[in-house]
Amino acid sequence: MKWLTRTLTAPLLLGLVLLAGIAMLAPAKAQTIDEILSRGTINIGVLVDLPPYGILNDKQEPDGYDIDVAKLMGTYLGVKVNLVPLTSPNRIPFLLTNKVDLIVATFGITPERAKQVMFSIPYSAIENVVFAGKDKKITSMDDLKGLRVGVPRGTVQDVILAKTLGSAVKIARFDDDPSTYQALLTGQVDAIAETGLTGDNFYASHPEGNIERKFTLLQQPNGITMRKDQFNLHQWVNTFIYFTKNNGELNALWEKWFHKPLPNLPVF
Amino acid sequence: MRQFNLGDFEFLLLATRWTILLSVYAAIGGGIVGLAVALMRTATNAIPRWIAIVYIRIFQGTPLLLQLFLVFFGGDMLGLPLGAWLSAVLGFSLNAGAFLGEIWRGAIQAVPNGQIEAAKALGLHYVPRMWRVVLPQAMRVAIPPTVGFLVNLIKSTSLAAIIGFVEVTRAGQMLNNATFKPFLIFGIVSAIYFALCWPLTLTSRRLEKRLALSLKR
Repeated sequence: MKWLTRTLTAPLLLGLVLLAGIAMLAPAKAQTIDEILSRGTINIGVLVDLPPYGILNDKQEPDGYDIDVAKLMGTYLGVKVNLVPLTSPNRIPFLLTNKVDLIVATFGITPERAKQVMFSIPYSAIENVVFAGKDKKITSMDDLKGLRVGVPRGTVQDVILAKTLGSAVKIARFDDDPSTYQALLTGQVDAIAETGLTGDNFYASHPEGNIERKFTLLQQPNGITMRKDQFNLHQWVNTFIYFTKNNGELNALWEKWFHKPLPNLPVF
Repeated sequence: MRQFNLGDFEFLLLATRWTILLSVYAAIGGGIVGLAVALMRTATNAIPRWIAIVYIRIFQGTPLLLQLFLVFFGGDMLGLPLGAWLSAVLGFSLNAGAFLGEIWRGAIQAVPNGQIEAAKALGLHYVPRMWRVVLPQAMRVAIPPTVGFLVNLIKSTSLAAIIGFVEVTRAGQMLNNATFKPFLIFGIVSAIYFALCWPLTLTSRRLEKRLALSLKR
């Protein structure tokens, strides 16, 4: 059987390389604001698994801050909004293959990601906090050394921990946020790096865990995300954020979900 | 965070619909592909045999998740947008075809050669020989592993979540993300899967018994 596998490896590899090649050759469609206006609908990718940014409400419909921003965008464009629920791993593929026009999905702005996609100026921010048991003395990054720290896979906190502490910290990567919170509660990890507000609510409803906030890892500004060639749409989105920030609408949405004023969002 | 309500339970049950439909379509599609693969794999001519071998190696040797990914996003790249539903059915059918093909090849080869020779001696051509002599006997051998594979197929439909398909596991994840009640929600999801798979196993056992009877005679 060994010769068989050997003879088949080469064509298989060739096939995969070919597929990858096709993927790179296929042109991402340049898209203008006029196209969306004449179509009458905008397809917006959102997350439904990151409370309170994106959740399923008690009627099982997408809801949350991101969804409200998406709907507000539709109002200003005067088109129908078609919300497409995405997951963090598949949001870039959905965008790059034109399945959505843009994504409003708590996407942190980083130079690494900007190689693939184009970000608007920040429209929201997410606070990343380290949580751990009350008996643990953790006040800074250094105190995490030698501990098992849980993070949702591929997130900004995952990258920061891996970069600054390297092998000094044992990172446990979970599929989503609830598993990460749960892992700390059931003691599978010593600490987690997660969204501040959600963690506060979750651990307040589980006082038996004796878990508290330790320190803020970072305040991450998020951008609305488009394909690299959507300059025309990009300019409109930036104008939209600028305008709704100034007239207080964005702040009102933020207060609705976070019960405090919109944090200071730097622009670029 | 919000409470788990009756509407959520209904949402899970409605998502089960998609799990069932996807499983049924994948089983039918996989069955058609699988039969073709099995017949090609057991052919006397080397060319179809080799095509079938390459097909099986590719689909058994790469992860199902990637196959779904390639069908769904690859279709768009080639200017052939298939949509989540069709991509999922196509991806699962192609994958199931490779596995069922290999299972059924074994079953076909388990039919004693004397049967085929006798059929030939009676002047039966390929189609009646396969249809009336070989396949009915192969079926008996094939039932337990086929059902085993189908049970697995039902459970692997959860992978369709990667292409935005909301079946019962993904629905459970989405609700868990809103309510933070993993044990309750995934408990219900597991019970739903059990309710789908257990009757299948029971039916298989009954079928096996019935077919074993016909052998005893």
